[in-house]
Amino acid sequence: MENELKQLIIDTLDLEDISVADIDSQAPLFNDGLGLDSIDALELGLAIRKKYNVKIDAEKEDVVKIFSSVSTLAEYIQAARG
Amino acid sequence: MTADFIVREWNAWAPGVSCHEDWRNWHDHQAFAQAEKAAIPITVPKILQRRLSPLARAVFNAAEGCIDSDKSLPIVFSSAHGEVNKSLEMLKSMQKGEEVSPTAFSLSVHNAISGLFSIAYGYHQEITVVAPGQDGIAPAFIEALGLLQEHRSEVLIVLYDEPLADFYPSLPFALNAPAICALALKVSLTGSGLPLRFCRTPAHRDDGEQALQILSFIKFLVADDKALVLGNHRHSWEWHKK
Repeated sequence: MENELKQLIIDTLDLEDISVADIDSQAPLFNDGLGLDSIDALELGLAIRKKYNVKIDAEKEDVVKIFSSVSTLAEYIQAARG
Repeated sequence: MTADFIVREWNAWAPGVSCHEDWRNWHDHQAFAQAEKAAIPITVPKILQRRLSPLARAVFNAAEGCIDSDKSLPIVFSSAHGEVNKSLEMLKSMQKGEEVSPTAFSLSVHNAISGLFSIAYGYHQEITVVAPGQDGIAPAFIEALGLLQEHRSEVLIVLYDEPLADFYPSLPFALNAPAICALALKVSLTGSGLPLRFCRTPAHRDDGEQALQILSFIKFLVADDKALVLGNHRHSWEWHKK
C-alpha cells in the first residue's frame, strides 16, 4: 500500500526526478520533507478519491495529521475502506 | 497625455531568438524554432520547476535578465491571453465528466505566472498583472509610468503571450502570436539607456493585439526607426526615440 501510494504521489504531482525509493514513509510530505504545498494536497486528495474511492473531508478530518506522511496517509485510506 | 521615460535595460525571449544580437538579426516573417523551450533558470527551486509552462519559462527567462539583486522593482506583467489554453484543457476535461485538477486550475488564472515568479524568486514587491484586451501593449506602459510618477525609481514591465489553441477562431481578429514571446523592459525617469517619449496619437491603426505588438516593439528597440505607432482600432499610441 505504501509503495503504491508513493507511486501515486509521484505520478499525480509530476515529481519526475523522484523514485519510490526516495520517499521515506515516515518523512513529512509537506514543507520540510518532500516540499509539497497546499495545491499538491488538493491534487493528491482528488487522486486518492479517484483511485481508492476515499474522500478526505477537510471540514471533518484532521487533514494535517492524515497528510503528514505516506505512512499516516496509507493508514487513513486503509481504515476508511474498512 | 505625453510622458518621457528611459528604457534602462531590456531582454526578450522567443523560440530560437533570445539575445539582443539574435533580435537584431531577426526579421519579420522569419519562422521561429517553435519546438525550442526556454531553459528553466537555475534560481527556480526544484519543487516549483514542474509547475512552469513553456510560457512561464519564457517569462522567467526574459524577466530574470532585468531584475536587480535586491529585487526592489515593482513589476507590471501584461498578457492578452495569459494561460487561456490551460483553461480550454480544463473545460474539455469537464465536458468529458472528469474532475478539474486543482493544480491545473491554479496555473490557469491570469496572475498564475506572476505568482510563480514571486514564489520562485522570493519577490515581495508590488506586482500588477494587466489584461489589456484589445488594447495591446500600451496599458502596461501607462501602468508602469503611473508607478514612476508615484516616485518608484524603476519599474519592470513584462509583456508576454503565446499562440492560441486552434479551437479559438482567431480570424478576423489579429490577436494570435506567431510563437511564444516575452519581453522585459526596465524603465525609469532618469539615468542612462534609451530615452523614449510616449503619447496618444489620433492615428487609426490596425496593428493587432498585444501578441503581435510585442514583436513590433522589440523590432523598434533594435532598429534605427525613430518612432513606432501601435493601435488596434480604438486608441493609438506612439513611442518616439528622443
